[in-house]
Amino acid sequence: MLDLTMRAIQASLDGLAARQRITAENIANAEVPGYLAGRVDFESSLRDALEQADLSDLSVNTSTSLAPTGMNGNNVNLDEESVSLIDTGLRFQMMTEAMNAKFHLLKTSLRRDS
Amino acid sequence: MSLFPVLQTSGSALYVNRVWMDAIADNLANVNTINAFDEPAFQARYVVAEAIRTDNNEAIGIGGGTRVAGVEFGDEQGRLRYQPDHPYANEQGIVRYPDIDLGDQMTQLIIAQRSYQMNLTVIDRARDAYLQALNIQPR
Repeated sequence: MLDLTMRAIQASLDGLAARQRITAENIANAEVPGYLAGRVDFESSLRDALEQADLSDLSVNTSTSLAPTGMNGNNVNLDEESVSLIDTGLRFQMMTEAMNAKFHLLKTSLRRDS
Repeated sequence: MSLFPVLQTSGSALYVNRVWMDAIADNLANVNTINAFDEPAFQARYVVAEAIRTDNNEAIGIGGGTRVAGVEFGDEQGRLRYQPDHPYANEQGIVRYPDIDLGDQMTQLIIAQRSYQMNLTVIDRARDAYLQALNIQPR
C-alpha cells in the first residue's frame, strides 16, 4: 500500500517530530546546570536509504551538541532553539502537504467517473 | 543548503545581538569596579561580528548571516580619579576607574536591542511568507 514516496514522507515526519520534541526538551532545560543540548539527525539515514531505494532500516539518531558550555556547564542556545522550532514546524507542514498531495493523487486514481 | 534560509540568517543575528547585550551588561555591571592601582583597570568588552560566507548563495552574492568573531578589550589604563579615602588609592590619592562611557554603553544597548527586535520581525515576516508558499494548492 505505502509506496517509496509515502514511506519517505512518513520517515521525515517521524524525524521532524523527534526534533520538535528534543527542541522542546532543550528549551525546558535551558537553565539546568550541566545540561547539554540534544540534536536529532534523520536526514543522513534517510538520504542513504533513498540512494539504495530501500527504506527498511531507517534510524532517528540523537546526539548531544558540541557547542561550548556556559559557566554552569549548560550549552543550550535559546535563539537557536527558537529558530529550530519555527524551521521544524514549517518543514513538518511542508511534509504534511506533500502527503496530502500524494493521497489526493491516490484518491483521483480510485474515482470511477471523470 | 538550508530549506528556509532566512531563519538561519536572522537566527544567527539574534545570537550575535544577544552576545552584544551580554557584553554591554557586563560593562555596565563593572562601571564602578576599581582595581588596585598597579593592576590594569577593568577593560570594557567589545563584541566583534563577522559576516558568514556560504557557498550555496555565492552565485547570487548573498551571505549566510553573521557570527561572533571575537571580543576586543578596551583601554587598560582606565580613568584616573582623585579619591584619597579609597583603600586602593596610591600615594597621590589616585584610583583607577574603568574607561567606560555610560552614554556610549546605553546607546549601544539600545542599538543591540532594536537590532534584536528587527531580526525577530524578519523571522516573523519570513515565516508568514513561507507559510503562504506552503498553502499554494495544486488544482
